[in-house]
Order: sequence, then C-alpha cells, then structure tokens
Amino acid sequence: MNVYFLKEHDFNSFMSKMIESKKVIGPVAKKSKFVFDKLESPEQLRLDYDVTILPPKKEFFPTCQKLVCFDGNKFEGCINPQEKILFGVHFYDVKAIDMTDHLFSEKNQDWNYLANRKATTIVASNIQKVSGRAFFASVGKEVGPKGHDAFITKINGGYVFEAITDKGEAIVKFGKFEKASDSQKSEAQSANESMLGKCPEKLKYSSSEIADKVRKNFTNEKLWEEAAHDCFSCGSCNVVCPTCYCFDVQDDWNLDQKTGTRSRYWDACLTEDFSKVSLGGGHAENFRESRGDRFRHRIMRKATYLNEKLGGPACVGCGRCSSACTADIADPVNVINKIMEAK
Amino acid sequence: MCNCCSSNNHSHNYDEQNIFLPKEAKIVRAVQATATERHFTLRMASGEKMKFDPGQILEVSLFGFGEIPIGLASSPTRENTFDIVIRTVGRVSTAINKLNEGDSLFIRGPLGRGFDLNLLRNHNILVIAGGIGLCPTRSLIQYIMDRRSEFKKFSLFYGAKDPSQQMFLEDLANWRKSNDVDFHETVDRGSDDWKGNTGVITTLFKKSSITPDTKVIICGPPIMFKFVIAELDKIGVARKDVYVDLERRMKCGVGKCGHCQINDKYVCVDGPVFSFDEIQNLEEAI
Repeated sequence: MNVYFLKEHDFNSFMSKMIESKKVIGPVAKKSKFVFDKLESPEQLRLDYDVTILPPKKEFFPTCQKLVCFDGNKFEGCINPQEKILFGVHFYDVKAIDMTDHLFSEKNQDWNYLANRKATTIVASNIQKVSGRAFFASVGKEVGPKGHDAFITKINGGYVFEAITDKGEAIVKFGKFEKASDSQKSEAQSANESMLGKCPEKLKYSSSEIADKVRKNFTNEKLWEEAAHDCFSCGSCNVVCPTCYCFDVQDDWNLDQKTGTRSRYWDACLTEDFSKVSLGGGHAENFRESRGDRFRHRIMRKATYLNEKLGGPACVGCGRCSSACTADIADPVNVINKIMEAK
Repeated sequence: MCNCCSSNNHSHNYDEQNIFLPKEAKIVRAVQATATERHFTLRMASGEKMKFDPGQILEVSLFGFGEIPIGLASSPTRENTFDIVIRTVGRVSTAINKLNEGDSLFIRGPLGRGFDLNLLRNHNILVIAGGIGLCPTRSLIQYIMDRRSEFKKFSLFYGAKDPSQQMFLEDLANWRKSNDVDFHETVDRGSDDWKGNTGVITTLFKKSSITPDTKVIICGPPIMFKFVIAELDKIGVARKDVYVDLERRMKCGVGKCGHCQINDKYVCVDGPVFSFDEIQNLEEAI
C-alpha cells in the first residue's frame, strides 16, 4: 500500500471532509484528560493526547450492549453495525484491539462484537506525548500492532499517512495527499521509534520470563495477599483496561413490563461477586473469595493465561490501570517486578 | 421498528451467527421435585430433536428475568424431549420455577463438553452424585441404563442431605430394584421413616466393591470431591479415569464473559466435564 504526506495547513480540511461524510471517533479533551468521542469539528481532535480515560474498545464493545430485544416471548437479535472511522489510536491500543478481535473470534465467534469491528476503519497515530504511567515500550515486545487500516504520524510541516488496507486507502480521497518522500518516511519512523525511549516505567524482564515466574508464584499466598492488601475490589483497573473483556448479561424490562432487552455490561474480575454462585437458602460459593485471589487472577490473566492464544501477554503497557487505581496498587510494572524479585 | 429499543434496523443478516439468540422450548411436564427444586421436561418449539451429549449444559432463560446455566438432566437416548431441574435460588430461577406445562422457556445450547462416551463404553462405571449433582449425572445414568449392554458393571452412589431432599423418586425406586445398576444411597441426616444408610457419601464405598479398573464420574458440592478422591486413591483408580462435572458462575456459556474461568480453562467450553488429571494441578479448580 501507499505512503502519503499531508501538509499541516491541509489537515483540517481533510478532517472536515471526513467528518462530513462519515462518523469519525477520535481523541478529544475532557477537562484535563482525554476521551474517544464523536468528532463534530476538526478542532476538537487532539492528536497530542497522552492516553484516554477509557480505551477505544468501547466502539465495538460498548459499556452496555443490547444483545436481544424482546416483546413478550417474541425476540430478535440487536446486531446493528454502524460504519465509522476510529481516528488517532495509539499503537498500544491497536495491539489491544487486535487481541480482543482474536478473543471474540476464536471458537464461538461473537458477531455482536465482530460486526461492529468490521464496520470500523482504524487509523492509528503516533504518540506525541507519553502518559505518566506508560510502559508500552517494555511489555509484549514480541507482538507488534496489527489490524489497523492506516497509520498517521506527525512530522515537521505535516503528516505522513501510511495506508495499510483498502479501508485505509479509501480515506485518502478526503484530503490533498501527495506521495511521501523517503526523508518524510524516515522522519515518521524515527518519530515513532523515539517515543519508545520516553516511557516513565519499565518492565525489567521478557514476557516469557515473566509468564514463567508469575505462574510459579501462583501458590505464594503471602505475596498475593500483600499485593492486594489495600484493594477496594472496585474493578477500576479492569474497567479502564484495553484488553479486559469480561461482561455480565442482564435482562432489563422497559416501563411497559412487556418489552425489554437482554444486554451485556462490562464486568470486572476484581469485584467480590464476579465468581460467586448462589446455592440457595442464603448460602453461596465464591470461587475467588479473597482480594488476593482476585488480584492474582487479574495478574495471571494479563501475564500468563492468554499468552499462548495471543502470542504474548494480554497487557499493552498503556498504564491506565495504574492511574485509575484508587489505592495505587494495580500498576503491573510494580507488581510484576516485585514478583520477579521474589524468591 | 423494534418495540423494545426503538431501533429501525436490526440486521437479521447475523441471526444465524448470533451466539446470544436463544430458541424457544415448550414445557411438556413440570413437577415439583423437592421443596426447592422443579423438574421440567421440555420440547423444542420447532419440533426438532436437540442433539447433545450427556453432561452438556444449556443457558436457560425467561425474558425480562435473565439466563442461567443448567446441566441437561436427561439422556439423548430419550424421545425428542429433554429434562432440566432448577433450584429456586435467585431472580431467574424463582421466575422459571413458577412456570407450568404449556409455558415457554428459552434456551441456548447444548454448550460445553459433556462426557466422552467412547472413553466410558466397555468399562466398569461408578457415578457418585451428591445432592443436586444427580441432575447433570442423570443424563449419563439414563444413557447407561438405556444402552446397558455397552457398559460393564454400573454402580451409582447417591447422597442427599436428608430424605426430603431426594430427587427423581421414580428413578430411585426403579434403581433400587433394578439388576442393571449397583445402586447405593445415603442421607446426611435420616428421618423417622428412613431405613437406609446415614452418613456422608464416602460411607457407601464399603457397601459396594469398586475395582481399580472403574471409570468414575463425580458431581456434587466442592467439599465432596476431595473426600471421594481420597477413597478412590485407596482403591487404586487412576486419576485419568476419574471425571468431574464442575459448577461455576457462567453468564455467556460460550467462553467469552470470563466468569467461569479457572486458570486458562473456561468451564463453559472446556468443561463442565473434566478428567481429574486435567484439573488436579489447576489451582482454584477443586
């Protein structure tokens, strides 16, 4: 596919044309933070964002997603994909999306996710500013970003736009793109490479070393109880994670008490009820009863359980969990480096 | 226009692939099995026969209340109906247990991995069912009884808390007098008119003679497993010949939602039936 250059002063007209003809989701400022939201104008777009509060997975896997609509005993599925362009996704989130793509595709394909995903064009963008807890340069290095349709990189005087798929190539028609020169391409490459050195946090070991050691420490109860000692079981670390995809399924009546929906809601394995089964008579069995059990499950899931399926850990180093954790105990770098130093 | 969510364009192109769309089943028989358990016999509303393996599960739902995972409680060798037993516990099960013959339930499935009959045929079989664990194992028990010649000696141990908690009373009466099954039962607490064995389920081992070449199926409360396994170890039954039917919270039944995960296994797709050697080193499993 082709690599293009777009001059700085042509960028807003490119975005305007794209927004006019397609639904475009991009990073926008929300007070002092950033979120992915529908763009109304090019000025809203903040490609200089560090990280968004929630990951972009919500575009395919919304916080609440209707699965089945019912009216008495009549029912129908709710798959209703909307064409959209997800613009300005950092490479760590591209990696995460590729992971959820895989997990929703394997075995029983879930078209409630996949239809939304297929209807989306993803334009990745270079990281212009690194967030305070990021460690994307040192995690899962064996897995590169893939599944995106184009990659846009800010360089001096404009943007280098690499079209990767036909969907990515189709965006070029909205702007005055010209062929990128070799020097522009190499400037883009070094802009992307240089950011890797700016992560404030760093894992000191390889993915396989980590997977091995973390797994071996499964029964190190003391370690997990200590790590989770201050955990509020709030699930914030799960909710902001780009690779978490656990959900609950609930039915909701409409006011008429006849019609309603069956929906899935984001769930969190750190919450107390996540693995709890009612036995009746007020009794329950909780298969991960202690905070340590649940904290361990999250770290295991990120560092070991899914590695075989994903080719690397289910963590991309965005640092969102570290920032979101009320007690500041969720930071995978701290937890994993500590486990690696355990006997 | 969809009445419930005001959407104009649900795409029905995906209906065939939508793993969350249930199918309607009609209740052809509903019996109160115990004070808290209700036994339903169902038939698909479409008339089709559901193909399943003993030990597989269904997601059973009632719109507006929700879905719950339930083990199939009858054998695929039986007509074109299938049984489930539901304990009144929460919102969904309470609503379902108010239903009667002619009402509809909605099901997804069969889901998961049931018993591998090829591994069980031509072997001595022992099924150990504690409490409500008799429901999913009944799918296998019926199968064996229906195709008795395909199996060698068949033993069945059943334990309930007290006589009022015993389920499938017709089946129990048949098994007690049948020559096809070496049946033993116990209750934790007897009653005035209880003349059978009293004590935990492992007390039944001395009533039978289980040989080391037996394939053993265990389903019951988690606490039961380790005591039963200890007995089987004494007899010398290999752990690869022991199968357990696990229970977990399952919301999706298709290996996505994460609730039933044990290490890297999902009980809803990799199980609920596991051979014991598969999970004995899997922390959190038992």
